[in-house]
Amino acid sequence: MTDAIAAEWCKLRSVRSTAYVLGTVAAFLLLCAWWSWYAGRYWDGLSAERREAYASAPPEQPLALALPICGAVLGALTVTSEYATGMIRTSLAALPRRPRLLAAKALVAGTVMLVAGLVSTTAALAAGKAVVGDRPLPAFERPFAEHVPHLLLMAVTAAAVTLICTGLGVVLRSTAATITAGAGVLFVLPTLATLLPAPWDERIWSVMPGNLADQIAPAPGVTVRHGVLPPAAASLLLVAYVAASLGAGAFVFSRRDA
Amino acid sequence: MIEIRELTKRYGGTVAVDGLSFEVRPGAVTGFLGPNGAGKSTTMRVLLGLDAATSGEALVNGRRYVELRRPMREVGALLDAGAVHGGRTAFDHLRWLARSNGIGTRRVAEVLERVGLAGVARKRAGGFSLGMRQRLGIAAALLGDPGVLLFDEPVNGLDPDGVRWIRGLMRGFAAEGRTVLVSSHLMSEMELTADRLVVIGRGRLIADTSVRELADRFGRGVVVRSPRPAELTGVLAAAGGSVEAAADGALTVTGLDVADIGEHAAARGIPLYEVRPRGASLEEAYMRLTGDGAEFGAVAP
Repeated sequence: MTDAIAAEWCKLRSVRSTAYVLGTVAAFLLLCAWWSWYAGRYWDGLSAERREAYASAPPEQPLALALPICGAVLGALTVTSEYATGMIRTSLAALPRRPRLLAAKALVAGTVMLVAGLVSTTAALAAGKAVVGDRPLPAFERPFAEHVPHLLLMAVTAAAVTLICTGLGVVLRSTAATITAGAGVLFVLPTLATLLPAPWDERIWSVMPGNLADQIAPAPGVTVRHGVLPPAAASLLLVAYVAASLGAGAFVFSRRDA
Repeated sequence: MIEIRELTKRYGGTVAVDGLSFEVRPGAVTGFLGPNGAGKSTTMRVLLGLDAATSGEALVNGRRYVELRRPMREVGALLDAGAVHGGRTAFDHLRWLARSNGIGTRRVAEVLERVGLAGVARKRAGGFSLGMRQRLGIAAALLGDPGVLLFDEPVNGLDPDGVRWIRGLMRGFAAEGRTVLVSSHLMSEMELTADRLVVIGRGRLIADTSVRELADRFGRGVVVRSPRPAELTGVLAAAGGSVEAAADGALTVTGLDVADIGEHAAARGIPLYEVRPRGASLEEAYMRLTGDGAEFGAVAP
């Protein structure tokens, strides 16, 4: 297994797409700093009573959009780029135990995304706090420790989406199809769900994999709440999505001719 | 050592390989011949565990490929030279392969040197010519210094220099005592490279023989013209050759080579007007063998 992990890490490091994905995360980190600056400037221009009611998004908000889609791309490419080039046969000739190869791929891509998520969200919060300074913005002013669960869950969600798309990539074998499916589940279906009549709009929205993090550990100081699931149920659901996708991938991978 | 035993592979309703059995021994180049669609690549894919056999088995050194712990140390394979991520450098491509089988990075530099790609090791494989990709694929096969080597149509698309290089490489591997299986649909190529031949058509075994045996079976022979044919026939028959007279007066001799015939004729002072090996007969033999086995035969108008 260590051979497989070392090989997958070597592969991931040596293609440009990985750098592009991490570069996108870095770009959104800059966007977080800009957003914090904007939120502070906006607050400065408000009258005293409007400041009371001002509820801004938290500093890491831009990353909440970017991290899952970056994870979807990284997770998909880790598998589908090999099907596109035919390199999957080279990989399987080198590492013929298929579940092990898939596990190594998932582990490496998932870990990279988890670390990228932790580093970027922590940096976004630190930058946001520095930019906003001593202005009492609710989404910025809580102590760092109170933010930790939410930031952790953002990173975990990004890693979970990476794993879901890794499994999906094995089933679909196409980069376009996998990323489209990933983006559909993350962005299109939740929007469509809001068009449903109550209470189904909220219920369907709540079970979407990209919306579980806020139900498990919401951002501190943010009063607008969505989702009907208790944290334990949302956590289980996130694990179930990952298990189902990787399980389907492993099942298909073991039985299909390469 | 490669053993294919009663191997059958069906894709849906299509039978690609049908009860195929043969062995490939070390120390020789074995040509794996057949028309397009005969089942050569399928057999190699099953051997490498890429496709699952419908029935029967394919063994490398007595074991199934998926049971090999570090397979690249036992089997080196070149299936499809294009199967490389174009964004990765030659060095990085070989490095991940080396990592996957616990092979040191120093070995990567060695094989790059051996296939003549050391100068472009840091270039992306996407910019490589077909010949360079072929060399990269061979470098990958050599990484683990394996005793068994598989090449699927290795000379396809190569220039004459590349073809000669691969030919020499394979002869060298066999001379080192390795097991070498090379698939091809060109008998002319295998005639120059292989010691043994496994010929298949429509997934079935047609011939498992040595190049020499096949040549003899289809009577390669030497064409000889002389003003004293009757006398020469007697001399050559006495020397162990078998001689057939053709209608135009030429003799076809088998069992003796050009040099033998010249020596015997000279010893008796018999003049020779022509002594030439009958060309392309292996090609003919192959065409006759596989005539019924071609998957996509052209229909004469």
